[in-house]
Amino acid sequence: MPQTLLVIDDEPQIRRVIRNAFTDNDARVLEAATGSEGIDLAASEHPDLIILDLGLPDVVGAEVCREIRKWSATPILVLSARHSDEEKVALLDAGADDYVTKPFSTSELQARARALLRRARPTPAAGKTRIEIGELVLDLDARGLTRAGSPVHLTPIEWDLIRVLMANAGRTLTHQHLFTQVWSGRKYGDAQQYLRVYVANLRRKIESDTLRPRYIRTEPGVGYRFATATEAAQGGGGSGVRD
Amino acid sequence: MWFAVLAAVTLLLLAFRSRLDKAHVALLYLLVVLAGTLAGDRRLGLSLATVAFLFFNFFFLPPYQTFAIADPLDWLVLVTFLVVSTVAAQMLHRLRSEAEASKRRAAEVDRFATLGAETLSVARADDALAAIEEVIRSTLELGFCRIHTAPEPDQLVSWVAESGHAAIRQSDGTVRIGDSEEPDPAGLGEAYGIFLPLRVRDRTVGVLEIGQDRPLALSPAQWSFLSALRYYAALGVERARLSAEADRAEVLREADRLKDALMASVSHDLRTPLTTIKALAHDMAGLDDRAITIEEEADRLNRLVADLLDLSRLQGGALPMSIAVNAVDDLVGALVQRVSGAMEGHELRIELEEGGTLLAGRFDFVHALRILVNLVDNARKYSPAGAPVDLIARRRDGDLELAVADRGPGVPVAERERIFEPFYRPAGTPPDVGGTGLGLAIARMLAVAQGGGLAYRPREGGGSVLTLVLPAADLPTSLS
Repeated sequence: MPQTLLVIDDEPQIRRVIRNAFTDNDARVLEAATGSEGIDLAASEHPDLIILDLGLPDVVGAEVCREIRKWSATPILVLSARHSDEEKVALLDAGADDYVTKPFSTSELQARARALLRRARPTPAAGKTRIEIGELVLDLDARGLTRAGSPVHLTPIEWDLIRVLMANAGRTLTHQHLFTQVWSGRKYGDAQQYLRVYVANLRRKIESDTLRPRYIRTEPGVGYRFATATEAAQGGGGSGVRD
Repeated sequence: MWFAVLAAVTLLLLAFRSRLDKAHVALLYLLVVLAGTLAGDRRLGLSLATVAFLFFNFFFLPPYQTFAIADPLDWLVLVTFLVVSTVAAQMLHRLRSEAEASKRRAAEVDRFATLGAETLSVARADDALAAIEEVIRSTLELGFCRIHTAPEPDQLVSWVAESGHAAIRQSDGTVRIGDSEEPDPAGLGEAYGIFLPLRVRDRTVGVLEIGQDRPLALSPAQWSFLSALRYYAALGVERARLSAEADRAEVLREADRLKDALMASVSHDLRTPLTTIKALAHDMAGLDDRAITIEEEADRLNRLVADLLDLSRLQGGALPMSIAVNAVDDLVGALVQRVSGAMEGHELRIELEEGGTLLAGRFDFVHALRILVNLVDNARKYSPAGAPVDLIARRRDGDLELAVADRGPGVPVAERERIFEPFYRPAGTPPDVGGTGLGLAIARMLAVAQGGGLAYRPREGGGSVLTLVLPAADLPTSLS
């Protein structure tokens, strides 16, 4: 079944680049030049993925995310021209799933989009309890993690952390988002340093080289992102140039 | 003239001498003496009193037409007249000179007030200086008055400005230089030009030059007036300087705002076409090798745009920092992620001297990563083919040290600080090693902005070591 993509971007050249990148893959690409037009199309056409440019003339990018998130769980991939990490964090917190910084290569964009589409596709068994990525198998029922078949011993917090990360594989999760998911009820602030510690500990248990992480990727200034099955199969490091 | 009046009065009195009393004569004479004093000066008053005394004696005290006096009581009248007229003339004179002095002082105060108002209220500071020059010139009735503020071709003016001592130019062209702010009094008699330093808080801010085509004979009152005016002139110069500085600062601020707006829009407007070029080149790479070069160049342009934007923001102090506790693990991991695709056959060897605890620091993750990417990139570029690049992280007291070392040619002693200057390129390197020439300059500014530093040292056995120092931090080992 062909997938439907919605591109919300005021620059016709960028829309064409994106259209070229995806029509090869047998996808239907809808285009909107303004934020409000994009919101209307998202509501009427139910796209499988929304690619949203931040530099829209009429609405602030974060507002478009929030508006769509009110009634739709469609993954949103953001195109950012700016250098500001705060802005990326704000967008991810507003409901965006991932971002690509301009200028990007089409293969990078395709990889990011594929990751989001795969994650969003409904799984055959609705009550999915097993997540397999690379050598890792997470069993939600048994509350256990195995690596290449052998169990990995985890503290309760490490368990919560990897559960959130693996359930959102392919998505960039902000520090704040992770913290509230794992340490619900605690105040975020200086405590974000604990997140660093637990990620470091977790990496020691699941990565063969903590400095070339295959699974838990660092998104500088933004948060962490768990590799998708495809990315994990390609090995650690070298996930392309990202700002 | 007053003696004529005295004579006329005497003739008039003589005509009626028989019917007059001595008191009439004394009073009329006194009137003439006082009127004379009032119109002329003290000397005239006293001379009139003396002449009136003699006339009184000669014409009106019997025996007449002699200076002899018959009645001893007339002596009393005569002496009393002399004393009264002398004292009255003296007092009148003093009153008058006091009135004049206070009038002069009022005029001076008035001039100072005008001067003060002009120094402070004239819209352009330069006009205020011109106003002060004019007030000094007209008040002291000089040929000309000039306030020098900028360096002058006139050597004497520059000498006074530098030494802070006064100087005099004499009619024969010789110059007397002083050893203090005040001119040498011995030279003042023949002075055609006087150069006085204008000082504010022990600093010479300018030179006041006065002169004319005949000797400047200044009275003590004029001198004291001049030294008061000097102070105003100095303040005027200082004000001119401050206001010029304020103007310059305003212009700079405006330029900065403009630059920021320009950079932001350039950054955004350049990246959109760059995205299109890069994406299309990437798509064509399989069909035509030249597309690979197009994509590389688009990347390079993008780096240049980002570097210029950051440099401008760093220099304006406007680059946002988000300082937090971060693990070195994470930082190095992100570094590996970023550079691993572009090492071109050089291995990146990493050594963490952890000593049992997780290495951590207090820094901005993104900026620190940017610095390291830049250092590793540089190390790779200057490394001989196949040589590894080393990254060593360690804690040293309160500092976190991240050293990037290569086996390249190193940097000559004379250039070890220059490598941190914007657009520096080492002598003899090929024109393009792919960089923007801004990397190390930005890296150091970023390091300093985070409370750290970036330094060069030669590597033992050849090569360079660039060490990024950041404030270290202690991470908690657990959180329940």
